[in-house]
Amino acid sequence: MKSKKLGSLLLAGALLVSALTGCGGDGSTEGTTGGTTGGTTDGTTTGGTGDGGSSTSGADKELMTIDIYDVAANYQGNQTGWFDKVVKDRFNLQLNIIAPQVAGDAIYQTRSADGNLGDIVILDSTDFADCLAAGLIKDISGEIGNYENLMDYKDQIDTFNNGLSGANGGTYGIPCQMTNTSPTTYSQDVIYSSPMLRWDLYKQIGEPDIKDLDDLLDVLEKIKEVHPTNEAGDPAYPLSLWPDWDGGDGMIGIANVVQLTTWYGEKIKGSVILKPDNTFTPLTDKNATYYKILKFLNDAQRRGIVDPDSGTQTWDNVCAKISAGQVDLLWYSWEVGFWNSLDRQKNGTAFIFIPVQDQTYYTDSDTYYGSGRVFGVGSKVDDEKYKRIMEFLDWYASPEGLVFQHAGIKDFNYTVGEDGKYTPINDNALMDNLPVPEEYGGAGYNDGNNAINQWIVDATSTNPLTGETYASTYWSSYKEATMTEMKKEWQERFGAEEPVDYMEKNNVLLVSPNVSVSLPSDDPDTAVIRNQVNESVCDYSWKMIFAKDDAEFDALWDEMTTTLDGLGFQDLVKFDTAKHQIEVDAKKAAQ
Amino acid sequence: MKKFFSNKRKARSFREFLYITPFLLLVLIFSYYPLYGWFYAFFDYKPPKPISKDLFVGLKWFKSMVDTDVKVKQLLTVLRNTFAMSGLSLLFSWFPMIFAVFLNEIKCTPFKKIVQTVTTLPNFISWVLVYSIAYNVLNSTGVVNSLLMSLGIVDEPQLFLQSSSHIWFKMWLWLTWKNAGWSAIMYIAAITGIDEELNEAARVDGASRMQIIRHITIPSIMPTYFVLVMLSLANFLSNGMEQYFVFQNAFNKDAIQVLDLYVYNLAMGSGGYSLSTAISILKSVVSVILLCLTNRFSKMVRGEGFI
Repeated sequence: MKSKKLGSLLLAGALLVSALTGCGGDGSTEGTTGGTTGGTTDGTTTGGTGDGGSSTSGADKELMTIDIYDVAANYQGNQTGWFDKVVKDRFNLQLNIIAPQVAGDAIYQTRSADGNLGDIVILDSTDFADCLAAGLIKDISGEIGNYENLMDYKDQIDTFNNGLSGANGGTYGIPCQMTNTSPTTYSQDVIYSSPMLRWDLYKQIGEPDIKDLDDLLDVLEKIKEVHPTNEAGDPAYPLSLWPDWDGGDGMIGIANVVQLTTWYGEKIKGSVILKPDNTFTPLTDKNATYYKILKFLNDAQRRGIVDPDSGTQTWDNVCAKISAGQVDLLWYSWEVGFWNSLDRQKNGTAFIFIPVQDQTYYTDSDTYYGSGRVFGVGSKVDDEKYKRIMEFLDWYASPEGLVFQHAGIKDFNYTVGEDGKYTPINDNALMDNLPVPEEYGGAGYNDGNNAINQWIVDATSTNPLTGETYASTYWSSYKEATMTEMKKEWQERFGAEEPVDYMEKNNVLLVSPNVSVSLPSDDPDTAVIRNQVNESVCDYSWKMIFAKDDAEFDALWDEMTTTLDGLGFQDLVKFDTAKHQIEVDAKKAAQ
Repeated sequence: MKKFFSNKRKARSFREFLYITPFLLLVLIFSYYPLYGWFYAFFDYKPPKPISKDLFVGLKWFKSMVDTDVKVKQLLTVLRNTFAMSGLSLLFSWFPMIFAVFLNEIKCTPFKKIVQTVTTLPNFISWVLVYSIAYNVLNSTGVVNSLLMSLGIVDEPQLFLQSSSHIWFKMWLWLTWKNAGWSAIMYIAAITGIDEELNEAARVDGASRMQIIRHITIPSIMPTYFVLVMLSLANFLSNGMEQYFVFQNAFNKDAIQVLDLYVYNLAMGSGGYSLSTAISILKSVVSVILLCLTNRFSKMVRGEGFI
């Protein structure tokens, strides 16, 4: 009996201890234990096999964990692999990524209620202003002047902080993806959204001119006739849509539709549409593009060229279909990455921009003042951590750091020629997760890629060391390699070097200047209205795409507008018009 | 000890009370402590701004639920779905019981074990996985459509997941597929508890298998059934959201959005925490009322309550 009692007591004790230790694993204990082990292993490796070029050696500092609250990250947890090695060799910092995209938005609420969002925070600028007001962001004006790489972007950083409500002369944020070009130029060859068809299929149907969306439907129908299935025999459709991105980033309406509206020079800003003449009209305006594109998709669906799974599949399904050759029309510039390999560009089966003559393409200019997201330092960091964070951020904005972020590893992702020019190699490193060299830890390239997924300086900026961009797709060596037969045929057919050339020559490119303004965030009432309005718009829009005839389509549209008014849509339109007018005024001033 | 208590009995009862304090503490921590979050319903809360006195708005969020016809209509639709879905489960609540009874009649033990395992397993598959199974089987190129098309029954793929016809019944089918085996366990336990002498006596008297089931097995497990039904009545408004969350799409949302899912959709999109909390409060209040009503009903019908 006694031994039984003793046993249960011990058991209870063990449970209690494990419960307590389970909860009590805070940063301090992790930091110290990690420090001893990490420090020693690092010390031995950096001495002999480091990648060289490290300005400050991290080995003599204790390992420190930095929590990064990062709205851009798709990965949560400690940075691993080659980028981890690069950071540890230089700064001996362990980057711990906290990703609301993975953990859910509720983590924003819990962490901000706790008063400490992270040591480094990466937020959208409206949230950033809110967090500043809530005392979660540190004023870095005292330190930032000492860091020359960050000071290269002093103009942009100062402009942002001067416009930041509540900053009162302090420096709190470092905008993301700044460039060293100008706020009104557009330096890329393709724009974010434009119609792209497979060149071989387009040739097969006789390279017809496409006047408008109806013509485009005819072309797509013909393409479906010549390409009913992919090589494996699975059905191919000209259009494949997906609903799981709807309502992201405070957007209202189906993500796919919102994107296509830029083909007519309009840009959806929340509940309102910004027209080319810089005026606003509600999303529910029947003469504006949201209606027009919905109608286009409905027509397409009735002609049987929309993937029937469009309403229920996820982006992952669509991505698999693109890679398998089951989709014939793409519209995001990055989507081609899932199909256009160098081989396919050479044999002419790659996707490329095909103009529709009545379209005017909207694009945001180079993100000179930043993309709208901001880096900041958490208000709770102590002096030592603060200094090391600033050193890290400075490196993150330095040419060396940027080459790692945008181009990758020397002699693995690119080689440097006699003349100092870079040439890309292993261009499938990311796609096929190639193992990196031993001195960088040897794991897969994609596995060890920079998990912060957000940059202080954009890839289109010029690298002062080479005079070319950081992004490998604009290096002269890359351009030479990709000057394929297909590209030459395209150039001849459309009389331009690149898609953006074509748009500029034909005067169908609308570049919206990049400005730095601080926009008001939603008050709780507006937030609720926005959420409910978005749900209704998306639900009705999907039903409209799958409507059987015009009568059903129009009935749904009318029902939608009535519902929206009942949810407070008019208030939202007023709010959004006032909000985005600030931005438009700044853009007008910039032009 | 004796100093504090007038007699031995009281001291003992206090000691025995101490035995249950850990459980009381757990209940306090996990069931009562979260209730403090209710205060969010009375404030204009939006993170990261902390709650402060000047954000107090009283009953604004409760009123805003019903301030336009469209919102009232929306709320009524959601309630209709909740009642339909819960009603359907309630209507078929005898199903696991009958399943358990018949399972118990299988004499070949290995087969019985296999059936029980196979029907219990789906309970451990998460709804997300269930949906991906459903998507793979039912999409336009899935097994079902391929089969139907090759047999010539349909000409073009049927969009099963996109149709909202019979959606309540379909949802009930998925739920039953997932839960039947698991819910049967309670009844199997109850059946094992039946006095074997009763069965033997009936058999001696010449009762057939069906007669034994009808007159002995089922009446013996009726109390278990009743308690479970009453409990599910009290939970009438909370039919969970995972299942409906994964199956929802623009086409069936009007029929599938239940109260829990509505609360989630409201809060998670853009931080409508206050409004969501207000709806949850109403839900809890209605649930407590339902519990009291069913308890009274039970007292009327069976002569005893269950709480």
